[in-house]
Amino acid sequence: MAPHLGHEEFFSSLSDLLSKTSQNARGSVFLTQKSLIDAAASSENTSSARPSILIRATDGNTNAPNPKNNKVQKKTASKAKLSTIVAPEDLEAFYTRYAEVCKAGMTGLKKRDRKKGKAKAKGGAKAAKA
Amino acid sequence: MPYLPTSQAYLEQSALLLEAYPNDTRITTKYNFPSSQKPKPAEESTTPTAPIASLTLKTYNPTSGICLKYRTNKAAEVGRLITSLGKLAGGASVAALGLGNAAAAPGAQAGGDVEMTDAPEEGTGSAAPTAKMEGNKGGKGKKKGGKGKR
Repeated sequence: MAPHLGHEEFFSSLSDLLSKTSQNARGSVFLTQKSLIDAAASSENTSSARPSILIRATDGNTNAPNPKNNKVQKKTASKAKLSTIVAPEDLEAFYTRYAEVCKAGMTGLKKRDRKKGKAKAKGGAKAAKA
Repeated sequence: MPYLPTSQAYLEQSALLLEAYPNDTRITTKYNFPSSQKPKPAEESTTPTAPIASLTLKTYNPTSGICLKYRTNKAAEVGRLITSLGKLAGGASVAALGLGNAAAAPGAQAGGDVEMTDAPEEGTGSAAPTAKMEGNKGGKGKKKGGKGKR
């Protein structure tokens, strides 16, 4: 498995992955977060306040060989896999960036509807800023 | 695999699930485009609109088998949702999420002490969160009638 990336590297790769998916208008990006329970660390200090968070990102593009015919399939595109570890004290800063990257990258979602008159559009702009 | 009607309900239930099983509960965010479109009926009149992507949030705990989902396609929600996921990752309780949903979180508003008494109940078994979820489903019906979500 590829080593965990630093935060900066993770964010740049993630925004590439998201924008590529959005441009193609097909495919998926999976983002997973879970608390990282390190076996060695947890045996040492079981009472540690909070575990680090493991963040994974993948495009779900499986190229695993089919176990039935045991043939390695042609590698057309390899699966994109990114991961990083966030220490509990970095969570807030990380997620602020994370939210920004996701907002910027996920352009395939429905935009805010601005057809409903200018009064509403004004309110919408306000909400978007907040 | 229930889809929860609102992001608030999803986040609250996820917070409870994380509280009950902090170690092996995972949250997956899926950003995807619809996979297969109908074969084009060769109509020139239909404008080639881009497919609308959707964002699916899923909280899953393998030991209890509880799975909570929420799906949206609104770009406006992304920032708020991801920030909330950060709070969940940091171990925020229902009260700390600051959702201000009077209907679904009366205990959270009454004070921290009430919330604390809730927590052990969740931990005793998987039945408790499920029961709560069903309680929420009742709310879904009501809300759907009024709002006509999606």
